[in-house]
Amino acid sequence: MSARWLLRRLLLVFYTLLVVSILVFAITQVLPADAAVTLLGENASVEALAAVRSRLGLNDPVWLQFWHWIAGVAQGNLGVSMRTGQPVGPTMLIALSRSLLLAVCSIGLMLVVAVPLGVLAALRRGKAADLGVGLVSYLGVSVPEFVTATVVLVVLADRLQWLPATGYVPLTENFWDGVRHLVAPVLTVSIVLVAHVSRMVRSETADVLSSDYVAAARLKGLSGRVVLLRHVLRNALLPVVTVVALDVGYLLGGIIVVEEIFAIPGIGRQLLVAIENRDLPAMQAGALIMAATYAFANFLADLAYAFLDRRIRYE
Amino acid sequence: MTPLLEIRDYTLDFQTRAGPFRALDGVSLAVAPGEVLGLVGESGSGKTTLAMAVMRHLAGNARERGGSIRFDGRELIGIAPAEVRALRGRRIGMVFQNPATSLNPTLTLGRQITEVLERHRGLSPRAAATEAVDWLGRVELRNPAALMRRDPHQLSGGEKQRVVIAATFAVHPDLILFDEPTTALDVITGARILELFRRLRAETGVTGLYISHDLAVVSRIADRVAVLRHGRLLEQAPAATLFHAPQNDYTRRLIASVPKPEHRLVQDTPGAEKILEADHLGVAYWRPRLFGRQIFVGVHDVTLDVRAGEILGVVGESGSGKSTIARALTGLAHATGEIRLDGALVGRMGRAYRRAVQIIFQHPDSSLNPRQRIGEILARPLRLYGGSPREIPDLLAQVHLPAEYAHRWPHQLSGGEKQRVAIARAFAARPRLVICDEITAALDVSVQAAVIELLLDLRRQHGTAYLFITHDLNLVRQIAHRLAVMQHGELVDLLGIDDLGSGRENAYTRALMEASPAPVG
Repeated sequence: MSARWLLRRLLLVFYTLLVVSILVFAITQVLPADAAVTLLGENASVEALAAVRSRLGLNDPVWLQFWHWIAGVAQGNLGVSMRTGQPVGPTMLIALSRSLLLAVCSIGLMLVVAVPLGVLAALRRGKAADLGVGLVSYLGVSVPEFVTATVVLVVLADRLQWLPATGYVPLTENFWDGVRHLVAPVLTVSIVLVAHVSRMVRSETADVLSSDYVAAARLKGLSGRVVLLRHVLRNALLPVVTVVALDVGYLLGGIIVVEEIFAIPGIGRQLLVAIENRDLPAMQAGALIMAATYAFANFLADLAYAFLDRRIRYE
Repeated sequence: MTPLLEIRDYTLDFQTRAGPFRALDGVSLAVAPGEVLGLVGESGSGKTTLAMAVMRHLAGNARERGGSIRFDGRELIGIAPAEVRALRGRRIGMVFQNPATSLNPTLTLGRQITEVLERHRGLSPRAAATEAVDWLGRVELRNPAALMRRDPHQLSGGEKQRVVIAATFAVHPDLILFDEPTTALDVITGARILELFRRLRAETGVTGLYISHDLAVVSRIADRVAVLRHGRLLEQAPAATLFHAPQNDYTRRLIASVPKPEHRLVQDTPGAEKILEADHLGVAYWRPRLFGRQIFVGVHDVTLDVRAGEILGVVGESGSGKSTIARALTGLAHATGEIRLDGALVGRMGRAYRRAVQIIFQHPDSSLNPRQRIGEILARPLRLYGGSPREIPDLLAQVHLPAEYAHRWPHQLSGGEKQRVAIARAFAARPRLVICDEITAALDVSVQAAVIELLLDLRRQHGTAYLFITHDLNLVRQIAHRLAVMQHGELVDLLGIDDLGSGRENAYTRALMEASPAPVG
């Protein structure tokens, strides 16, 4: 892949982040929250409030405040939490790592399940297996994740007592306990993803199966296995890369609900806490980090796509 | 000699919702070792189905009703899937119609050849690669070693077809089925591919079944020719006999409808008055990029004119800019340069211009609105240009369609009938110039002949001029007064039809003429 192409993609990522940062900053500006009041409480004196405002630069013009903030961000300083007085960057990044662990495990489990299901459905089009996969995936798509999560909790944690109900244990602290805590949320998230992606794999595989080059591969006398693995799957799974990247967006948003239910201190939960406490720096940092994660995931997907489908590089 | 492939009384139905449809009906034919049999038929005649029956690659709704297919003395009907795979590619190879879709877009060209060599000739990956490079050279591709790592999309259509041919011949099959291998290519490229077949055939002595709708192409390559229609084999004879003394009526009509350039269908000479003039016409297509645009030149600096009642043929290879001219002259593409109608500069193309200049497209399937009845399709231009829907029966009669067709939907009509409706729609405006953009390219030869006859008929009645865009040089030489030759977006030649072959033509024009398949006989 050409360096120019790579550079253009990277520029696009930074451009996206710049636009997002402007939006995030603008939104926190119009929120009915006074940082000084948040810091000192409702009963603070007018003088104290004024002092804080001038210390935080809240009296500066908006563009100057933005400049200070974005310059800090560029140097890796995302600001200080108004609630805890701690730098928000490290807090948010730790929270992000927990969310990413959940997301990566869910995507991994989803791929292991959804790809074979989708391929099977396409190969048995119109037969019982296809209809079964279709039914399951419609259910998965239409049932909201708080319902799925509840079902998972009731069955696995309550009835069968196989898993702890909620909470989070870092893998570094106690690996097995950490894994046991991850199973239920990962299951919940991946059920929704499986539903979504298996439909996609099915329709892509069906398209490729009816293509001329697959007919040509069969007529060349290649074995069924080679036709499926070399000619069908490679082409059918290409669009899945893009979908997985888009699902990262869903995960970052949808995972908030799951994190809330299973009490995982991930980025979604941190953001909720920040919003509840009118903690502006934490909100800005959380939103920006989520956007950056999403943009980066899509960048990776583009790279993967270009690596797998060489036609892309020349466009 | 015992035939290598022998099909006897083979009958095949397709199960459809409307009941069984007989695709092949008691077909018998034989191909001797070393022979090439041409199988000719129009669309829907069952010729590709027959090839797929030999390959044992039939659709799920196919039902074989009897007969036998013997290959090298062995019955193929009912053999086990493992035996089928042992035949396919190894003993019976196939070259497909469209190289753009028959190569896997995400595998390198080298891999698509080595995979069959490894499977069928048991070569090691290294030996397969050496052999593949050798074959890429034998099909006259430049720089074969570098091509091994290239991807299909980096090659032109003709080059891709050469790769498919290399992959097929490299296995040394006994029989090769050619399914319209030059149809998707333009004239010059197709002619070179045919040349390659002839050479490879001489070198390898392979037996072939060559399927095509194009009698001219088949007459160049086949020893014997079989004619298929509606699933029945009508006639089978040595190529020369069939073309000079056809026994069957349909064959005779089929041969008669192949355009013969010497046989002029238009005798008159048009007036000197210029209706439409294009001056330094240029069209650039572009694609947005992050910074600025990427520009592709469609056509560059084209100057031509069409005179009253004249037929101006526009010819060239695919991608030469023929259709771009049509798009520019109808305002479908933004063009630079000047366009004059009756000597007056055309600024914005208003109603008067659109009335005078109408267009007919290649695919009536996509140019007729599927949700409008034929009557509605014709009523709109009639109203727009001061006519009345009461003229619809008249209009239909002019294109030899019954008046009841006004109530039909496009999908209820055949391809030829749909194209007649498109012609009627263009003539509803009583135009002085009609731009015909490859309007017969998607039609069978017999239907093409009828459509051309209709166009000439309408021209006699109305004195209409045509800008006739086509890749079929034989056809255009029958009807055009002058010829515009396009290459790489430029007009390389503009000459009277009588100047063809006089030595006054451009070298490229000559090459184009020589590449055109000689008509039958």
